Amino acid sequence: MAQLTAATVRSLALELFDYQFADDAAADSVAHIVGAMASYSRRLHALGLAGLQPPFGYPAMLAEADRIRHNS
Amino acid sequence: MANTAELLSFDVATLATKFRARELSPVEVTNAYLERIDQLDEKLRAYITVTADEARATARRAENEIAAGHWRGPFHGVPVALKDLCYTRGLLTTGGSKILAKFVPDFDSTVWARLHTAGAVLLGKLNLHEFACGATNSNSHWGICRNPYNLERIPGGSSGGSGAAIVARLAAATIGTDTGGSIRIPAAFCGCVGMKATYSRVSRHGVMPLADSLDHTGPITRTVRDAALMLSIIAGHDPADVTSSREPVPDYAAALTGDLAGVRVGLIAQLMNGLSDEVAHGFSAAIRQLRAGGAEVAEVALPSLEMASSIATNIMFAEAAEFHEPWMRTRAHEYGADVRRSLEAGMLTPAIYYVRAQRARAALLAEAMGALEKFTVLAAPAAAITAPRIGPNGRAPLGQGGAPVDLLTAVLRFTAPFNVTGQPALAIPTGIAADGLPVSIQIVGKPFDEATVLRVADAYERLRGPLPEPKL
Repeated sequence: MAQLTAATVRSLALELFDYQFADDAAADSVAHIVGAMASYSRRLHALGLAGLQPPFGYPAMLAEADRIRHNS
Repeated sequence: MANTAELLSFDVATLATKFRARELSPVEVTNAYLERIDQLDEKLRAYITVTADEARATARRAENEIAAGHWRGPFHGVPVALKDLCYTRGLLTTGGSKILAKFVPDFDSTVWARLHTAGAVLLGKLNLHEFACGATNSNSHWGICRNPYNLERIPGGSSGGSGAAIVARLAAATIGTDTGGSIRIPAAFCGCVGMKATYSRVSRHGVMPLADSLDHTGPITRTVRDAALMLSIIAGHDPADVTSSREPVPDYAAALTGDLAGVRVGLIAQLMNGLSDEVAHGFSAAIRQLRAGGAEVAEVALPSLEMASSIATNIMFAEAAEFHEPWMRTRAHEYGADVRRSLEAGMLTPAIYYVRAQRARAALLAEAMGALEKFTVLAAPAAAITAPRIGPNGRAPLGQGGAPVDLLTAVLRFTAPFNVTGQPALAIPTGIAADGLPVSIQIVGKPFDEATVLRVADAYERLRGPLPEPKL
């Protein structure tokens, strides 16, 4: 599992979002969760993802643009 | 004239028949529900808002319309309630949060607009896990919702109020939402039917998002037939939700033939381990009944499913964090600790992981679709455990010996895969276990083939027979 520390996530949250954790226990817990997600993410390669499109459809984008134009 | 207990015992299908024939009055049924809510909800905390005056007025209008020969359909005059994530024009809509404690939308969610047009009577807005971001419904802002079969147990979540209200007879039908299992988990823990249709089948317009690409809206009901009737009303394309499908909506109730001949049920091997004795026993009994009813049952392997809950949590945390980020910057202290933790994790999820998780969804769906070439439906327990004890101060619920329960392993592992693949999935109780709590089976189908899922579930429900009611 990726070894993230409470100090690292505190620093990232502050720099990226100007966000303060409530306490050390919260930062520690989030470091653990994000570390686990990183490990799982690496394992996803085993599914053979090369060439697979993520499900972000252009038709949805076109439809949203159309809806925005009609509502404005 | 029926007594109150009898009035509350009728499912939607029965109410519809009796209302139409003018054997029963929507006003007396609505009053019976409001009285029941008044008596019981202080201990169950299924409701956040009860709309008694509006409910009585709508019931009177329904009664007059039906008397004048203008019956709108099976939900005309039927008392329902909505998860408080669904916008209702002019009515408090909190999302179960402190942040939206005074929020009153100026438009209706499509799901409520369609039920309203169908003549449904709104009893109120139901409790949920804060912002639908959790599975216990131990809500620190609006009260801990409790399981009708055992008040020391969680009802499951996030649509815990919707499940508890059905089983405690505080509404005839309810609406829930499901991002990682939030319709099926409370249905499983409380002992009722929860239907998550195919992604995009039901409009999400006016439903506060948890994670747009995984969110589903759907019925929680007493019977499969009621779920079919409700889904027939709320399903279908909505111009206000560009992700909503244009697939034609069949008459779901017409699919309920009670026939299992030729049905092949694939038991998902990856979801057969780690089951409590109660769940293993209940699941085996259900499989025996399905076989006795004429279904063929065999095991099927879906190896990629092992990755599904990590894919789901990655996407869920990241999308939820993007939605909540403005509030997290300024009002983080107003979130419950568990929800805040999930959003913090989402804020720090690298984009690479998010996109990869999205990309992996097609691989999981392909595997499931391959299995569904050989099987009519897939089946698995809806959770590995029966409802655990409510945790102290809203913390993790407690299992055997008082140890905290890991809901990811015990519950979301069973439900989240079908949010990842977007397939229709329905939870239906198999019975009441030795610990006095419901056990459920989950039936999963091909995308947009809700009719087959409902058909198999209805046939099973007929074989199972009625469940003992909770003693409240």
